[in-house]
This record gives sequence, C-alpha cells and structure tokens, in this order.
Amino acid sequence: MSHKTHAAPGTISRRGLLAASAAAGAVMALPQGALAQAEGQLLLWLPGGSDLFCKIHTGLLDGFSKGANLGPATTVCGLGQDTEFTQALIGSITAGAPPDISMLWDSPVSLGAQGAFMPLDDMMKGSKIPLETWPAGLLSSCQFKGVTYGLPVTAGVYAMWYNEEMLEARGVKSDRASFPKTWVEMRKMSKEFTVWDGDNLKSAGFMPNRIPETMAIWSALNGGMLFDEANLKYALDSEQNIEMMNFFLEWLDEEYKGDVNLIDRSGNFREGYADGATGVGPAFREGRQAGLMSGSWLMGDIYADPVPTFTRWNQAPNPVGPSGSAPVSGTWPNWFVIPIGSKNPQAAFDYLAYLAVEGSVEWYQQIPDVPTNSQVQLKAPTSLVERRGQEFADDLTAFLATQAAVVTPMWNSPSQSFGNDQMARAMEKIFTHASPVKEALADAQTAAQAELERVLAG
Amino acid sequence: MPVGPTTVGAAMPRRKRRAGQGEARAGVLFALPWMLGLTIFTAIPLLLTFFIAQSKFQITGPPKWVGMQNYEAIFADPAFWTSAGNTFMFAVISVPLKLVLALGLALLLNRVTALSGFYRTVFYLPFLMPAVAGSIVFILLLNPSAGPVNLMLEGMGLHPPDWLRDPRAALWTLILLNLWPLGVETLVFLGGLQNIPKDVSEAADLDSPKGWHKLVWITIPLITPMILFNLVIGIIYSFQIFAQALVIGGTTGKPAEATLMYMVVLYRLAFRYFNMGQAAAMAVVLFLVVLLLTLLIFRTARSWVYYEGDSR
Repeated sequence: MSHKTHAAPGTISRRGLLAASAAAGAVMALPQGALAQAEGQLLLWLPGGSDLFCKIHTGLLDGFSKGANLGPATTVCGLGQDTEFTQALIGSITAGAPPDISMLWDSPVSLGAQGAFMPLDDMMKGSKIPLETWPAGLLSSCQFKGVTYGLPVTAGVYAMWYNEEMLEARGVKSDRASFPKTWVEMRKMSKEFTVWDGDNLKSAGFMPNRIPETMAIWSALNGGMLFDEANLKYALDSEQNIEMMNFFLEWLDEEYKGDVNLIDRSGNFREGYADGATGVGPAFREGRQAGLMSGSWLMGDIYADPVPTFTRWNQAPNPVGPSGSAPVSGTWPNWFVIPIGSKNPQAAFDYLAYLAVEGSVEWYQQIPDVPTNSQVQLKAPTSLVERRGQEFADDLTAFLATQAAVVTPMWNSPSQSFGNDQMARAMEKIFTHASPVKEALADAQTAAQAELERVLAG
Repeated sequence: MPVGPTTVGAAMPRRKRRAGQGEARAGVLFALPWMLGLTIFTAIPLLLTFFIAQSKFQITGPPKWVGMQNYEAIFADPAFWTSAGNTFMFAVISVPLKLVLALGLALLLNRVTALSGFYRTVFYLPFLMPAVAGSIVFILLLNPSAGPVNLMLEGMGLHPPDWLRDPRAALWTLILLNLWPLGVETLVFLGGLQNIPKDVSEAADLDSPKGWHKLVWITIPLITPMILFNLVIGIIYSFQIFAQALVIGGTTGKPAEATLMYMVVLYRLAFRYFNMGQAAAMAVVLFLVVLLLTLLIFRTARSWVYYEGDSR
C-alpha cells in the first residue's frame, strides 16, 4: 500500500528510518546490474510501500517490458520514505548510475529545478499523454517555470472521512449531502462527540488540522494559499491564513483544553494510522473519532490492523472556511520522474505513458490511489467492492473523481520542503501557545521567502 | 667517529639491505589498503568539503564558486544558532555526567570479583545496540501514557514529565538516552584502575582509612590519561550527535526545536533542502570548533594529566 503517514510532519518516523536502514543495506547488496542498468532494460525505484504495492509495480513493469520487447526489467522496492529515499536517489544521479524511472513521494519540483530530472515536455508532445490530458492543478506540482519534471500518475485524493455509525448513534444524519458544509458547522457538530475523562480524550468529533502537508488545502478552503506560483511568492502570513490559524486555535482552546499534548496522549486523532513515533493507535479506526480529513489511500488500509470497530464509513467534500467560497480538494500524488542519466529515457517515458493510462487502472483496483490522467476509465477497487458492495464502491469512485477535479495547486514550490518545515514550525508554536498566530506565521513567511529567493537565484 | 644511520647503512651487507628494503616494501603493501581507504574516504572528502563550502553546488553540473556566501548564510540562519546552542548544552551536560557515571561504574566493577566478566559484558552490551534501535526502545519506555517509566513514577505519586513532547524535558531525555551506553568509557576507566600499582594502592590505604581521600589523591590522578581520552572522545561524539536526535525530534527538532541538533540541521540542509554548499559550510565550522576544543584540551592537559614516568 502506498499510504503516506503524516505522523511526523517534516520528519522521519522510526518505522521509516528502520525501513531505510534495511533498504540501504539491500541496495548495497544488490547485484551491480541492478544499480547501473543496461540499455534496453528498465530499472524502477520505489520508495516505501507494502509487499502488494511492490508486487503490483513489479508486475506492471515486467508486463510492459515484455510487450515492448525490452530486456528483463528490475523493480527495486521499499527504499524508504522522505529524506532517506531522496538521499539514495541523489547519490545514484550524481554517481551517474540512476534508475531509469523513480517514483517520488515528494514534489519533483525542487530537485527538477536543480537539474536532477529530465524535462518531459518534448516527449509528451505527440505522445498519448500530452499536457492537456492532466488536471492543471495536479500537473503544477511537477512544473517549474513552465517545464514539466514529472508526472502525477496517481494520487491520494483528500476528502472528509466520517464514521456513519458514530454519527447515527448521536442522531446526526449520516448521508453525504447532510455533512457540514462549513468549518463553523463542522466545529458545532464536533462538540457532540467530545468526551473527556479527566485529561484523557475518550472520543472526539473533528480536530483542527495539525498536518503541515495538508495546510495548503485548508488555506484554499478559506480562500487563501500558501504559495503563489504565478508570482513566485509565499503567502504564509496572508489574512486568510491568519484567520484560519486563529479559528483552529480557538477551537483547540474551547473544545480540547488548549493542549495538543493531552490529545496526543489520548490517541492519534490526526490521521487514520497509528502514530509513527509512539505507536499510539488511530482514534478514527478505533471508533473514537467521528471524522477526519484523509487521503484516499486509507481505503486500502482501513480494514488492516487495527481493524475498525465499525463497518460503515463514508466520505464527503471538505467544508469551507469563513472566508472561503467553494469546497476544494487536494492530493498527495505518486509522482514519477526520469532521472538525468537514465540509460533508457524514451522507453522510460513510454512506460510512464502506459502506467498513466492502462497500468493505473490495475493499480487502483488493488490499491486505491486514484489515476489522474483524464483518459482513464475508473473501475471501483476490488477490495472495496468485496467489503461494501458494488454500489457503494462505484459511488465512492465517482465521488473521488469529482474531488480530483477540484484539487487546489499544492506541492508546487521549488523550495517545498523548506516551506513545509517552516509551516510545521509555525503550527507547533501556535498550537503550544509559544507564539501568537500573526508572529509565528510572519516568521515562517520571512524564512520561506528568503529560501525561495535563494533557490530562484540559481 | 660518530655512528649515524647513513654510516650504518653504508656498512650494512648488501643482502641485509635488500632484506630491509623487502620488509619495507611489504610493510607499505600491507598498509596500502588502509592508506587508500584513508585517502579516498577521508582525506579527499575532507578537502572537497572545504571546496563545496565555498560553492553553490547543484545536484547536476559543476559547483559555482560563491566565496564566503554560504558561511554568511548559515550564520544568519536562526536554526544554526538554535542547533548550536542545543548541541553545546547537550555536550556541556552530557560529557561530564557520562564521565562521572562511567567512573563510578568502573570503581564498582573494579571491586567485584565474582562474575566480573559477566558484569563487564552486560555494561558493554548497550554500546553494541544501534543508536536507532536504542532510541526507539527509549521512546517506548518513556511513552507518557503507556510507558513503564511514567507508570512507575505515577505509581510512586510523582508527576512525571512528558519526556518527548515537553520542550523543557526533551533535551534532558536526549541526554538521558546518551548516558545509557556507558560501556566503552567504563572499560577504559576500568583498564586504568586495574593498572594502578598495588603497592601504591596499599600505601594509600595505610596513610588514610578514608576511601574518598584515596580516590581524590591517588586514584583519579593516576587515571587522568583515561579521563583525557574519554573527555576528548566524548566531546567529539557529543558535537556529532545525530541518530538519536533525528529519531526523537525528526528534522524539525520536535518539540519546539528543543532537540534540534547541529548535525540534524546539517543533514536537512543537504538532503531535505538540497543545499549542499551551506551543509558543507556547517561541516567545516563543526570541524574547526571540535578541532579547537580538542587542541585546547590537549594544551591544558599538560597541567592536569599525569603520565607514569613523568618528571613533574
């Protein structure tokens, strides 16, 4: 499975670090041919992911290579998330022995702007995946100064997940149409579910967002943005963002005793997975949280350990903030790039074209990362059909397609990680009351803009 | 006639001289792999670091010379000073604390006669555990809600801190974690203690029945070379603390940058922000600071380290 954990924003999880250590060892133990691929034999690198994720990609690449009369292909799986994967990839590029294709779980813009990846625009012209077949908001996560450095072949699409059974138990309507349309409504509904036992949060409704990666979506929901791509400027301390953080802080103070540590001690209320650092279980799947914003990849994991205590869950559009006008969504794509120095750039691009249109259908059926190319005809994931029936699976697939069409531009700064870390730092200061909202965001803005200008200076 | 090496060499029979040359050649050959390793993996990267520190280095393409710009940038970066301050605090507290604890442990082990080998092994074992694994064990032990440490402290009626999330406690947790693998320092001290001549020790016992007199006036002065060794190694290590800090605080030094260490900032500059030039500049600064500190310690060591056979 390809889920991205938010447990440690801008950080490394212990599981990730262990996996990276193991992966680094595995890479060192690889035969020479797997590191420096010959012409006509494709080499694909994948970051983290389950055995199934690896199996799907190995099968897709092998099938394509056979069909295209290429030599035997190699898929290297589980090379680790975040920094450790990037480290290995940079090393291979600078050593002149990169993979032909690499999946990334971080925007290709930063490294692309530094010349690490091949521009794809010329190859896309006249191919079966030209620029116009990609949603602009999504493709912008791969583009810098008009150059396309990667493809968002599939993406986890963010929406509001909710526990239908928990809502119904409190007499709240659980159909999608009745789900709160605004933050104010969501906050009001959230109160219904908040139960404290001393300093232990037994159950909760919804939470103020504390995941820096998704802050671009929340900002857009409030009519703002974090990064203004057109003018190459950060906007972390814009009026909309100050209003957003004030809203979250008031919510935290009013409903959650103003103490994020108390929340974190009580469970992982931030995402649908166990906390990567402490192993604390996901409150949503434990039936202790009414809902949360999550990526669609959770559909592939929700029935894994810990098995949810409920059967019926659903998804709804993200509610709008006080200054927002329309619901938007966001994505965390599975980006694919062709590193500079690839021995088989054209074959690698042909594989990406195949993966984007045909391969991603098979991928989605087994792991629900949503294909993003407009030519793809989606079929509901098999596992979801088995669990919830064809009708629900079809409905959810159609819903995700509507959400994918309204994604806000994100992951599009050439200094993405730096900007994200600054936001994470500001959020930590704000939520621990270490710094006023305005001041924390202004500090983050100054630092992020300075780094952006350094990167842009070339 | 003065007998110098040249004269002796000249008088040496040819066969012996050839044998000497052969031995020298063999010696060089035996040392060659190590010398090559030192050159390729240490000397060249070290020199390159000085060069990259004065360049803007992209992933592809040659580095561009920017002079002192990278140094100016890192000195203007608040993260540099935060991490330098944290690292300095960490070193100042953890190095002496570790020396005292290791010495105490060595003194105890020096008294144990039965099972001494077992105890030495047990105390050395934590050193063999990878830093990442050790950190994860500590994270689980110190979990505020379900960790055994807090459960025990709460059972005693105490209010334990949130070790990893409270900014006031997090650096201390890191220091605590660093104190755990004491094995090497303890064994070095133990070696020193066991080398103290018995007659000196017995004479000290006769002179004063008070144990601490013997410790202060006899034992510690005689193991000052070991203290010097552990001090220098401890300082070098503590300024380079990385894995534990990364596991606990990630690249942002959570909570509230309390665990943001110098090496973590260096690492994230290089591999998260892809700013190799500034990362190299930070490496150079660290190298110079540690070098200066080490030289300073060696300089002062003349006045407090006692070597057997010294005329002082």
